[in-house]
Amino acid sequence: MFSMRYFVFFLSFLFSFNVWAEDWSNSAEWLAIGHYQDQKSSIDSPNFFLSKDGKTNPKAELEATINLFNSDDNKLKCQFPARYLFLKKHKLITAKFPKCEEFEEFKHDLQPAGVTLLFTDAYMNNPSSLFGHTLIRIDTKRKGTQMLAHGANYGAFTGENPGPLYALFGLTGRYFGGFTVKPYYDIINTYNNIENRDIWELNLDLTQEELNFFVAHLWEIGQTQSRYYFFSKNCSYMLLEMLDAVRPSLKLASKFPVQVIPLDSFKAVFRSKDFVKDINYRPSRQKQIVEAVADMNDVQKKAYFKGLREKKYDLPENLSEDEKSDILGTAYQFVQYQYVAKKLELADYRKQSFEILRQRSKLKTTKKNKKIKGKSPLESHESMRLSAGIGAKNGNVFEEIAYRPAYHSLTDNDFGLLKGAEINFLETKLRHYNQDNKTVLQNFDLLTIRSISPADEMFNPLSFQIKANIERWTDAVSKKEGYIGNLMIGTGKAYAFSDNIWGFAFWNNKASTGGFLPHNSMLSFGLNTGVLLDFDKWKGLLEVTPWLASQKIGNMTSYRAELNYVIDTNVSVSAEALFEDRYGKDENEFLLKMRYFF
Amino acid sequence: MKKFYLLSTVVAGLIALSSNANAYDSTGCGLGSMAWRGQSGIVPQVLAATTNGLFGTQTFGITTGTSGCDPNGRVSGGTGKMLLSFLENNMEQFAFDASVGHGETLVTVAGILNADVNELSAKIHNNFGTLFASNDVDAVELTLSILSMNA
Repeated sequence: MFSMRYFVFFLSFLFSFNVWAEDWSNSAEWLAIGHYQDQKSSIDSPNFFLSKDGKTNPKAELEATINLFNSDDNKLKCQFPARYLFLKKHKLITAKFPKCEEFEEFKHDLQPAGVTLLFTDAYMNNPSSLFGHTLIRIDTKRKGTQMLAHGANYGAFTGENPGPLYALFGLTGRYFGGFTVKPYYDIINTYNNIENRDIWELNLDLTQEELNFFVAHLWEIGQTQSRYYFFSKNCSYMLLEMLDAVRPSLKLASKFPVQVIPLDSFKAVFRSKDFVKDINYRPSRQKQIVEAVADMNDVQKKAYFKGLREKKYDLPENLSEDEKSDILGTAYQFVQYQYVAKKLELADYRKQSFEILRQRSKLKTTKKNKKIKGKSPLESHESMRLSAGIGAKNGNVFEEIAYRPAYHSLTDNDFGLLKGAEINFLETKLRHYNQDNKTVLQNFDLLTIRSISPADEMFNPLSFQIKANIERWTDAVSKKEGYIGNLMIGTGKAYAFSDNIWGFAFWNNKASTGGFLPHNSMLSFGLNTGVLLDFDKWKGLLEVTPWLASQKIGNMTSYRAELNYVIDTNVSVSAEALFEDRYGKDENEFLLKMRYFF
Repeated sequence: MKKFYLLSTVVAGLIALSSNANAYDSTGCGLGSMAWRGQSGIVPQVLAATTNGLFGTQTFGITTGTSGCDPNGRVSGGTGKMLLSFLENNMEQFAFDASVGHGETLVTVAGILNADVNELSAKIHNNFGTLFASNDVDAVELTLSILSMNA
């Protein structure tokens, strides 16, 4: 009798155990720990899976994990501290976590106090950074500052591939991505001081339990690699999955089934309920210099620029100590900038730096730097844009609708984004011409990048533009229309007449192809000059380009004007006018439209 | 003429791409900082004694590379080692903060040394001329000076 009861008990125990395993294997928690989306894990390293078909079978993986922690393979257990926390929390195992020296050392070095999501803004000089970047900081409870915290960066291990291959590999998942951890002061140096990018910090509101879990999970994932896709499974996507693992109710990753733009992911985290407790801003070195110079009075400015030119600072006696300290502090930053930009030799750099510091150390002032207020990228417009409007081409009325998945045009509201930087990705423009009652693809932008970056006495950046598109072209004589594909690259310089008016000049080179063209091809080049206007809610662009082409059909002078009025962060109305002088024949186009960002 | 067009396109393309040619350095060790790194090579005895073995042998599971500055890519080790690593990587900012008498790096160094921020900052500021006696001061010398100053 007793043995029978025991047997039944044992059976029911087995049975219930199975039920438990099944329940938990489908729980949001377990799926997030295994990075499963639709029953398939995003992680590609075989060593992340204990079960043979663990990548596609969360249930088998959970069972294998339970078996592991009931075994005595302590070395392997040390690889999965977060899974252990999960099993323990739900009483799926009773075993203790073994002593894991490396993991303990990891925690000891990090001394975790919290988690912060970092966003670094766009960096136009690197194709992989056009859309900004996100990474994680594990805040530290070490004495001192968060400089001693650690950044965890998920990135592709790319090796040394030339540009085009890099892009191809990045798009097709040829690279593997993984985490690297380094001190936060390294991150600050890389982004703020070398690449001159602002850093935005979102301090996450985690419980102690969630924090412990995050660190354990970072350890788990830190030993794996996964295929890296530039648009979908990228740096930001993996971070979203990491945050989902900490708090599965967030469901962040599933909000981005197709592409993840870093800033979009940053916004999604920011908008998650009860998840963010604070925002902090670390301006780039260049931003600090620019702001400091802007705050100087005329005497200070004069002395500052004289110092830059002469490489020594004999400051006027009538300046106060505070005013002198502003000049020397800014000059010092600028010397650092020049050295990083390889515009100074080491010996000269050291000499100049020390001269400035010796002078600075003799001033009695204790004035602290003004805290710079940045324009938060969290308040920028959304990435996708739908625009619709009505216009006329040579008197022929049309309606136009255009969709752009990403990201920003020169005349869009640039609050929180890099001014003068345009990235149009995959914009598709359809038109219905009323007179002929036909609907045509007017333009398809594979990619347009324009970087208008003013040069001044301190900074001398190259402005550039790249455009790859298919457009509907009109033969000015026969009035026939057809498609041509263009690849255009231009380089130039920009100059800021004032904060509101920037001028630019580009030398454009364009290669075109298409059956519509005589001999299927055309090369053209043109001098593209114009002004970019920014008056609060009014944004404007005026430009003119005389083109000289290898086919007559391409010879023309093009005048373009664009005016946009920002109604709200995500809504604006714009007017566009185009006038082209094509070897004596005129083409004109007017368009009024509404832009909506979502 | 066509050849000229082609050539100018290629040239402009190269100019545009050359600015992108610097492969993304995700292993950022401050360039400026690199310039300040100790040239001495041999780490003085006194420092080794305070650092529990300067470059630990611990392996690091989470990264395939290192920061390029720290052997294991993490803030670790004893006071001396941490101070040296920190100064090697933040010399420019530290030198500036020292000349001013306050700033983020002074707060950090005080934290590493478990010292009072205001006292340490004043001490470092007042001794600026001694700490940064020559243009060639390196992180090792500076670490030693600060350690002995704080002793």
